[in-house]
Amino acid sequence: MQTDVLIIGGGPAGLSAAIEAASRGLDVTIVDEANQLGGQLNQQTQELRPLPSIYESMRGFELAHKLIEQIKDYNVRQLLNHRVVGFYADGSAGITDEENVFPVNAKKIIVASGAAEKAVAFPKWTMPGIMTIGAAQTLINRDFVMPGREAVIVGSSDFAMETAIQLMDVGIRVKAIIEKQSGTAAKEQEKVSELTRKGIPFYFNSFIKEARGNGQVEQIDVALPDEVITLNVDLVCMDGGRAPILDVFYQLGCSFGFQEELGGWVPQYNNRLQTDREDVFIAGNAAGISTHGPLLLTGMIAGISASEELQAISHAEAHEMREALWKELGLLEYKEVYSGRVKHLENFASPVLKDQFIS
Amino acid sequence: MHIEKHPVLGRQLHKPVTIYFNDQPYQAYAQQSVAAALMANGIKKLGVSRKLVQSRGLFCSRGRCCSCYMTIDGEDHVRSCMTEVEDGMRINSNMDDPEVRREINAD
Amino acid sequence: MDDKSTIICRCEEISCEEVEEVISNGGRTFDDVKRITRCGMGPCQAKICTSLVAEIIHQQTGLSLSEIPLPRMRMPISPIKLETLATNSTSFSAVKSVLDEVELEEGKVR
Repeated sequence: MQTDVLIIGGGPAGLSAAIEAASRGLDVTIVDEANQLGGQLNQQTQELRPLPSIYESMRGFELAHKLIEQIKDYNVRQLLNHRVVGFYADGSAGITDEENVFPVNAKKIIVASGAAEKAVAFPKWTMPGIMTIGAAQTLINRDFVMPGREAVIVGSSDFAMETAIQLMDVGIRVKAIIEKQSGTAAKEQEKVSELTRKGIPFYFNSFIKEARGNGQVEQIDVALPDEVITLNVDLVCMDGGRAPILDVFYQLGCSFGFQEELGGWVPQYNNRLQTDREDVFIAGNAAGISTHGPLLLTGMIAGISASEELQAISHAEAHEMREALWKELGLLEYKEVYSGRVKHLENFASPVLKDQFIS
Repeated sequence: MHIEKHPVLGRQLHKPVTIYFNDQPYQAYAQQSVAAALMANGIKKLGVSRKLVQSRGLFCSRGRCCSCYMTIDGEDHVRSCMTEVEDGMRINSNMDDPEVRREINAD
Repeated sequence: MDDKSTIICRCEEISCEEVEEVISNGGRTFDDVKRITRCGMGPCQAKICTSLVAEIIHQQTGLSLSEIPLPRMRMPISPIKLETLATNSTSFSAVKSVLDEVELEEGKVR
C-alpha cells in the first residue's frame, strides 16, 4: 500500500494532523489499534478547555465526534483495528490486522502515539481491582461498567481529579485521595476544591503500605505521616503520571532528549514538529505531555509541515501558519510545559540519546 | 454491574449478548471489551501470573500491560481489554503459558 | 520502597530486591537489570516497568533520570501471533525484516 502521509495514532493530534494534510489534497492513511477513531477522547466526559480558537469548548467525546466528522469531508483511509508492529528495511511500516502483516509505504510519517500511564508500585499492586485511572475511566465511560463500589485514588494530577469526580458521578464512593507529596499535583484547583467540598479526604505525605484480598483487592493499609489506617475498598486507581509512548520512534531511529516538563524522554524535534529523521513528524502527547489545546495545535503544525514538504502548501504560507499556531500554543499551554518545549526545541541540534544501544 | 444510565452519556447499552466464562453464561453488551464485561458480572480475576501464580486482572485497559490475557474462543493469550465481546463467545481464565511446541504432522 | 518484596515487573515477577541487587553490583541502565533478572522480558516487553526501574536506579545511585537511558525497544512493538507474523504475511519480505534477526537467502534461513 502506498500513501502520501501515514499517521500513526487516531487520537486528537493524529486527527488534527490528518485534517491539515487531507484538506490540501494529500492521500492520508490513519492507523489505530482501536475500533474507532478519537483515541482517549472517547471516554473523556469532562469539558475540555481551553481549546484552540477554531473550536468552541466541548466535552472530550464531543471533540472526537467533531474531528471524525471533519475528516469525513476528505478522502482519508482509516485502518482501524490495525497496528504498527515494526518497520521494514526499506522504511515501510509493517501493519497488522491480526491476520496479515503488510507494508505501507509512506512519503511522510506523522507519529501521534500518545501517552502511557506510569505505574505506582506497592506491595500487592498486581492484584485484580487495582488499575490505572485511565482504565477506570474507560470502564465507566466507554464500557459502561462499574469497576467497583468503594475506591481510593493514588495520586492527584488533573487527570486523577477528573476521574475521581467521574467515578463519583456514576455512584462509586471515593474514600480518599492518597498523595505522597505534601500537596496536590493538579494544576487546576477547581476540581480539587470540588472534591474537598464533597468531603473527600486528601491524605498528603501518604502512600499505600499494602493491599490485601482474596483473589482481588479488598483492603488497603495507608501509611499517613503519623499512623497507619486500614480502608476497605474494592477499587484502587493509580495515577503515576504519564510519559510519551516512544517505541515507534525508537524503531524509526529517532533520537531522544530528556525534558522533565514534557514527561521525561521525548523524541527530538524542531519547530516544524519534524524529528531528526526528516520524513518523520511528531504530534500530540508523544511530543510532550500536555492538555487538549496543545495536542490539537501540535497535530496541526505537524500536518502543515508534512504538507509543506510534499509541496501541497507553499513555504511562505506554511511558515505563516506555523508562526500563528506556535503563538497560540504559547498562550494555551501551561507555562512550565511550554518553557520545557522551548528548551526541547533548542536541544534539537544536540541530541542526547542517539544510537547508544549495542546489543 | 453494568451502568444502564450514564450521568452524561445516557443509555448506551442496547444490544445484550451472552458470553461464557469458564462455561458459565453471563450477560454483556455489544461494544464492551471482554475484560469490562466480565467485571460487570463481578469477575475481576482474569487469570494468574506466570511464575508466582498470583491473581491478575485488568490493569491498563490500553492493550499494553498484558495483565488481562485470557483464552478467547480457543486462542490463548488474547488481550481481553482490546477484544470486543461477541454473542456466544467462550472465554477462559489464563492459567498458564500456552503450549507453543507441537508435533508437525502429528496425525 | 519500604517492602523490598514489592513486584516491579508484573510479567516476569521481578521484585524490588532483585532490581536493587543488580544496581548494587554496578547495574546502571534498564538493560543491565533486564539482562540479569529478566525484568521487562515478559509479554508486555517493559511497557510498565521501565519507569519503575528508572526510579529505583535514580533512588539508589543518585543518577538523575536524564542520565538513565531508555531500554532497547525491539520489534514487534506489541504482541502478535507468530502465525500472523510468518505464515500469513502478504509479502514474504515482511518475515525477513520484521523478524529482524532472521537472515534469508533465496527464501531459506541462512
